[in-house]
Amino acid sequence: KRFYSLKVAPKVSPSATAEKVKLSPASQNLEITKLPNGLVIASLENFSPASRIGVFIKTGSRYETTSNLGTTHLLRLASNLTTKGASSFRITRGIEAVGGSLSVHATREKMAYSVVCLRDYVDTVMEYLLNVTTAPEFRPWEVADLQPQLKVDKAIAFQNPQVGVLENLHAAAYKNALANPLYCPDYRVGKITSEQLHHFVQNNFTSSRMALVGIGIKHSTLKQVAEQFLNIRSGAGAPGAKAVYRGGEIRKQSSDSLVHAAVVAEGAVIGSKEADAFSVLQYVLGAGPLVKRGSKVTCKLTQGVAKATSKPFDVSAFNVNYSDSGLFGIYTISQAPDAGEVIKAALNQVKAVAQGGVTDADVTVAKNQLKANYLMSVETSKGLLNEIGSEALVSGTHTSPSAAAQKIDSVTTADVVNAAKKFISGKKSMAATGDLGNTPFLDEL
Amino acid sequence: MLSVAARAGPFAPFVSAAAHAVPGPLRPLAPAATHRDRKVPLEPKRLLLCRESLSGRAARGGLVASTSLNAQASVRCVHNDVTVPDFSAYRREDVQDATASSQSSSDSRKGFSYLMTAATGVATAYVAKNVVTQFISSLSASADVLALSKIEIKLSDIPEGKNMAFKWRGKPLFVRHRTQAEISQEAAVDVSQLRDPQHDLDRVKKPEWVILVGVCTHLGCVPIANAGDFGGYYCPCHGSHYDASGRIRKGPAPLNLEVPVYQFVGDDTVVVG
Repeated sequence: KRFYSLKVAPKVSPSATAEKVKLSPASQNLEITKLPNGLVIASLENFSPASRIGVFIKTGSRYETTSNLGTTHLLRLASNLTTKGASSFRITRGIEAVGGSLSVHATREKMAYSVVCLRDYVDTVMEYLLNVTTAPEFRPWEVADLQPQLKVDKAIAFQNPQVGVLENLHAAAYKNALANPLYCPDYRVGKITSEQLHHFVQNNFTSSRMALVGIGIKHSTLKQVAEQFLNIRSGAGAPGAKAVYRGGEIRKQSSDSLVHAAVVAEGAVIGSKEADAFSVLQYVLGAGPLVKRGSKVTCKLTQGVAKATSKPFDVSAFNVNYSDSGLFGIYTISQAPDAGEVIKAALNQVKAVAQGGVTDADVTVAKNQLKANYLMSVETSKGLLNEIGSEALVSGTHTSPSAAAQKIDSVTTADVVNAAKKFISGKKSMAATGDLGNTPFLDEL
Repeated sequence: MLSVAARAGPFAPFVSAAAHAVPGPLRPLAPAATHRDRKVPLEPKRLLLCRESLSGRAARGGLVASTSLNAQASVRCVHNDVTVPDFSAYRREDVQDATASSQSSSDSRKGFSYLMTAATGVATAYVAKNVVTQFISSLSASADVLALSKIEIKLSDIPEGKNMAFKWRGKPLFVRHRTQAEISQEAAVDVSQLRDPQHDLDRVKKPEWVILVGVCTHLGCVPIANAGDFGGYYCPCHGSHYDASGRIRKGPAPLNLEVPVYQFVGDDTVVVG
């Protein structure tokens, strides 16, 4: 086995310009295979001292029904409960003993169980990962003991007002599926049963909806593991309902002096050409700070809102893509008295772009920012694992970073303007929290 | 697959609900363990009122909720400015060159190390054995006790035909200077007729000197010299007759008189014991 360490990294001459710089002479490219039962296996052997393996499953809160809301939240928390091959104590102790970690990341559409460990201990930790994803037992007493944790987890998450706003936004924008909250509703805490968890896992954790991804591990090892252990449930599982956009608004009045508001319209589907256009539009309008303590000179939204108010605020373009729908709009944080002006100013900026008020230079700047952000996100092994896994789940292939950069470059200014037009003309949804005395309703915008 | 991983994508680490989180601007600290009924103290809200503290807080992408078995407790940085110190002062000559393989000299290096270790081990074992035996042998008999176990006898003090008795190890020691007649008489005795068959010459080193332990082999009395029917010793207790060689001839004793370990040192001295 080879190990990669900073000290023995070979000196790369700066004249090697367009060539891909390899981490070590024997570093390999990404290998991706799709088994006949639909399971996708992807791995990148970069000889890193730490390996990261993830099981990605195309399931999430959108696959819940009104009778079993909150199941995915409990499933997230139940990742270290007893399984058929290992008890809860053994999983926790075993993973800790080798210095690894087990985590579950979930969005509305996918769940990722990932383990990180030193490469010597991959076998141990892989055993636990497979146990957790394929053979959980959900013993009734363990599940019952875990239910109070739902409340704590939710309380900690909702300390950030953004979480509440985004949950409300989805509940307002969609009729079903994507409207389901990521966090368990209060009335369901204590009522989720072990049978519901089992049922959910049986119907959703099927081979055709899973991807096994590894970084720092050989492809043959992963393939062998997948063929032996991840073949248990075949079939497509329960199909989710198609998300239907409705466009509503939810307002939560509280005593918070800061108003968080999101105004969105239906956006683009993952992987479509439109999605690229919306991403570039997001960066044209402004998607977060790029320079620490900078004044966001290139961010149209910030510049526009700064003319409307002098008090502290923050605004950014909001963009999220799902497999059959998406949301695009603006997210603002403002002082309670100024909320109306801030939101209107931000929407005016988007209107300006829709009317063609964007230059090629702006679009190029935005493309560069987007490319930089994307490429930097796949620099870490965590980001890279997420990227490979998500793409493997959606399409079973992998786009190399340079191909992705080219896709970004192929977006034209006209595409960006059209995307802005789609937002302006689309049916809006809104969610707001805080002291909403001065926050306009959707029909007032 | 651009829109998947662009900052707007589902896994944008903007807001994540972690059970144990790295403290950052948007990640509240979480309590370690929860009990069903205990109240969990949450981090009090911090008012965000200035431009810098608000910067970056607007949501850009979808929510990702995450829980972890053991999340990081601190922020890890890449320490790529750490230099490895120069250890060349401690290296052997064979491995001074950092670019050459160390395999070619590994046999000789290992051999030297093992040889030194083995030699030191042997020397240590030798020293240890000596030290231990010195301590343990100090528990055995001391020199004055050992000295009492030997007796030195001056032979010129004993005239011919005379039997002298000495006290040795608590027992009487008979040293008899035999005449030639006695010697030839004892040599001529038929060994097969004896109760304890032993030839005279087997019992003595020099035929004129016979050294015996003067304890009767019957029940332990001291025989009288120059008495008895055979010209040797006679035990008065039960009537055992010994000859001039100390062999039993008549009487209840089963064995001949014991011949101790002795050595002639020089012409004139014998050391018994």
